[in-house]
Amino acid sequence: MAWFVGRRLVWALFATFLVVTLTFALLAASPNPETSQAAWQAAQDGSDPEEARALVDQQHGAGDSLTTQYVSYMVSMFSLDWGQSTTYNEDVTSVIANAWVYSAITVIPATIIAVVVGFGIGLYSATHQYTTADYAATLVAFFGVSIPNFWFAIVLMLVFGELLGLTPISYDSEVPFWSLEHLSYLVLPITVLATAAVASEMRYARAEALEYVSATWTKTARAKGLSETAVTIRHVFRPATVPLVTILVADLVGIIFATAYVVEVIFGIPGLGYVSYQALVRMDTPLVLATTLIPVFVTIVANLCQDLAYTVLDPRIDYEGRSP
Amino acid sequence: MTASTDTTADRERAPTLEPIDWEVVASERDAHRARVTARSLVTAACFLGLLAAWAFDHVARASHEPFLTLATGVAFLGEDGVLTASPSHVDWLFGLTLLVGVRYALVPLWENPRLTRYYWRRIARNRLGVYSLYFLAGVFLVGLIGPLVLGDPEPQWDLGHTPPVGFGGTFAHPLGTTRNGEGILEIVVAGARVSMQVGLIATTISIGLATVVGTTAAFVGGRVDDLLMRGVDLLMTFPTLFFILFLVYIYGGNLFVLVLILAFTTWGGQARLIRSEALQRREEAYIDAARAAGGGPWYVIRRHVVPNVSNTVVTGATLLIPIVILFEAVVAFLGFGDPSVWSWGRIIADGRESLASAWWVSTIPGLVLFLTVLAFNFLGDALRDALDPRHEVNRGR
Amino acid sequence: MTDDSLLSIRDLRAQFHTDEGVVRAVDGVSFDVGRGETVCLVGESGSGKTVTAESITRLLATPPGRIVGGEIRFDGTDVTSMAEDELRTIRGSRIAHVFQNPQGSLNPVYSVGAQIGEAIRAHRRVSRRHARARAIDLLESVGIPDPAARVDDYPHEFSTGQKQRVAIAMALACDPDLLIADEPTTALDVTVQADILDLLASLQAERGMSILLVTHDLGVVARLADRVVVLYAGTVLERADVVDLFERPAHPYTRALLECLPGVDGEVEPIGGTLPSPIDPPDGCRFAPRCPHAIEECHAGGRPPPSTVGDDHVASCLGYHREYRGAIDLERHPTAEETQRVSDRPDAGIDGGGPR
Ligand code: SF4
Repeated sequence: MAWFVGRRLVWALFATFLVVTLTFALLAASPNPETSQAAWQAAQDGSDPEEARALVDQQHGAGDSLTTQYVSYMVSMFSLDWGQSTTYNEDVTSVIANAWVYSAITVIPATIIAVVVGFGIGLYSATHQYTTADYAATLVAFFGVSIPNFWFAIVLMLVFGELLGLTPISYDSEVPFWSLEHLSYLVLPITVLATAAVASEMRYARAEALEYVSATWTKTARAKGLSETAVTIRHVFRPATVPLVTILVADLVGIIFATAYVVEVIFGIPGLGYVSYQALVRMDTPLVLATTLIPVFVTIVANLCQDLAYTVLDPRIDYEGRSP
Repeated sequence: MTASTDTTADRERAPTLEPIDWEVVASERDAHRARVTARSLVTAACFLGLLAAWAFDHVARASHEPFLTLATGVAFLGEDGVLTASPSHVDWLFGLTLLVGVRYALVPLWENPRLTRYYWRRIARNRLGVYSLYFLAGVFLVGLIGPLVLGDPEPQWDLGHTPPVGFGGTFAHPLGTTRNGEGILEIVVAGARVSMQVGLIATTISIGLATVVGTTAAFVGGRVDDLLMRGVDLLMTFPTLFFILFLVYIYGGNLFVLVLILAFTTWGGQARLIRSEALQRREEAYIDAARAAGGGPWYVIRRHVVPNVSNTVVTGATLLIPIVILFEAVVAFLGFGDPSVWSWGRIIADGRESLASAWWVSTIPGLVLFLTVLAFNFLGDALRDALDPRHEVNRGR
Repeated sequence: MTDDSLLSIRDLRAQFHTDEGVVRAVDGVSFDVGRGETVCLVGESGSGKTVTAESITRLLATPPGRIVGGEIRFDGTDVTSMAEDELRTIRGSRIAHVFQNPQGSLNPVYSVGAQIGEAIRAHRRVSRRHARARAIDLLESVGIPDPAARVDDYPHEFSTGQKQRVAIAMALACDPDLLIADEPTTALDVTVQADILDLLASLQAERGMSILLVTHDLGVVARLADRVVVLYAGTVLERADVVDLFERPAHPYTRALLECLPGVDGEVEPIGGTLPSPIDPPDGCRFAPRCPHAIEECHAGGRPPPSTVGDDHVASCLGYHREYRGAIDLERHPTAEETQRVSDRPDAGIDGGGPR
């Protein structure tokens, strides 16, 4: 087991290394976004794009050899020297340090809601297959995963903010952090975040639980005289957590991160998504890089946690094999 | 159970114990060979024709197109100007995608009417799936033909916002207009083309990549499998949206590049799925038989493994299209898309500023986007139920 | 039997709702299980034996299944009218089940000790420690070596045969009066099968419980049964003492079964032929399409009533009916053509819950 955990740990580190290298390769092998932007601008202004490109390249010291660039890039990435953000006139690291809290206050509640509500409904649906409630839940889940999150956010804004005036329309970072008022600013963002995630988790939970609803051991459990609740929780849900955990991280990361990005931009919440958006708009490459890599690192760590959870949840785990 | 037996029954003709007339068999075989050859010729001619047309267009245009790489992604009937050329690279690629679709989906369905009818009966059990298919066919046709009929949305600066019919608008602009006086209807139609193009092209490339990687990993195994699957693991540690935005940042967001980016960032999950499916198939007898008969690995993969994972591929593709469409819309919504293309995402973003005064600008295109994605998801679900016998377990009893 | 039977089933009817129509899986089954006795329910797959067994404690999946009629009395009380809660106090404590597939009947994420303990604690207010100690005793009694060490192992660490022993231990957790074992040896290797059968026999001798054994294997029947109930297409064709059944089989179906046996050991399957449609069963005798002795009257009217053919021995065949005794000569050797009709291989069996 220690061997298994060790291997996953090594893979996580290796993956981190590879990802950072990959970003370097992509940046190095591509036209500098700033240069292509300059060329694009020049073309639209009617001036010579090549000239503009050369000018920008010069400013960025593109003279060094690729290896030198690579080494210094890797060194600075791993020593957390991520450069200066031109957008915020601050170290990239401190921009991130200020921003992550604002992401956390929407992402964490949404994740909890997604897991609790999504799994809850999914389990209920699976144990009440072919009932009206099951059909309704499945249909609602289809809507939940299909609704474009940015459009949903706008519609909620329109209905609850503009028409009904129940919630504030855009985020105000002056509001005291620990206050009910702050919560009122977060209700819509969290709703948007949670909708797609709840729907997706519900579908997974239902599908996995269904596998076990008709398992012989649930029949055995019933034959032992256990109550329906005990059968559902101990013999349907508990074994379903094993496959569920293996999709949980990838799924939640995919949905919640992507939605958080859009939601932060729409509501103006100064979290990582918003910062990343500003960086992209302002061609702030160091900050773009940081905001791209941080979600990747979070994902790698989350995957590691998932592997550890797996060792606890599934007694059958084969420590020699590849990740399940 | 019923699924598999019925399928084999459909495939197997003729009772077994009839005397065999070898001459008939031989002539039938010759006829079959001739058909296959003819078909390959027609296919090749179509692809070559498309290629030639593209090359001609490319050369003809190159002389007066200084920014060919940047100036892509424009609809057929664009307005005049340096950046509007017809047809764009994306249009050509769309043509190629449709050709691939016809050759590898419609032709086989046409040639096996019994199988087609069988699958259709199974799909038709899911009414939502059937309605979705009709709806999507409608969106597809509107996207294909609509822009030619209605033309590009033209600004009418003096007009400004006008509401849709029923909310005080006129039939000149049945769905209202934007601040610049462009008709929402025209924009929605133009956006339908963009979404269909992006969805179908990127998905075709993505699924193609996934099939190649997945079947190769499963079939070759060993080191190759490890390497490919580790690569997929790595690819999938990138949260897709962030990866897409990063690549858009580097390579720019014109539609052609965006399509390639979307294709490249979304194939990982499908590759895993196809690999595991192909692994199960690999153990089956006909693969061994094909190998024993002297088929090389590529031959066996192409002729025996790929067709047998095609159900997984079809379902996967159907469920990938809405994801790709949504990603394109998000990129356009955030303003990193192609400014010369009327994407649904872009118009939804445009409408945000005047949400309270002109709700129709954001909501109508958004609703169409929502319904399109929903229809693809319903259809994908229906296809999975119809094509994947393992899902049958939960239905029968 | 009389009032002192432990279990008494009268005219049980159970149905399944499917897309094709209503399947009458059990269509009027009656039999008794006496105290301390082993009764075997024998039949091909699709004969309704599993549905019958699972109807007793209503384990039948509802929907699609449904018990539509009949009476089940257990120890004098009618269980068909019992509320779910009440029934739960009987399940596992007085009537226990062992299923066919030991791989699937243990939950992979709990240790075997925990699963046996769960069965105990569902009915007895005891501490976890106490339950664990009892689990060790039970494991020992079903012949798991070194039970104290193995009690915390997970199911995947046991062999298939051992899993079935664990499943039996779990069933015995509350000293049931009746053990319902549904094809308990079908999924096992032949050598292990014998061990499990011996185990069941010795446990019964020790504890004096009754066993209702569902099987398609006449070898198992010969080994364990006191009395036998032969099921066919949801109906009982013959009920007899085990010796009578093998020595003096009365029903043409039972005779065909026994003739198909290569020795004493064998399975019901080889008789072949097709079970009648369970959705729209034919009139008259359900076995008539395959019966070498069938006469016109066999194909019409209701099902042949049970006729007494010996001491505690009944067969539902018109050949024993007063009115037709002359018309049907059951002792006549069937012609080759008639035999052919019986033993045609089936092209489609109806899998209603037999061995899966
Ligand atoms: S009733 Fe008729 S058909 Fe049925 S078993 Fe007796 S003889 Fe055969």
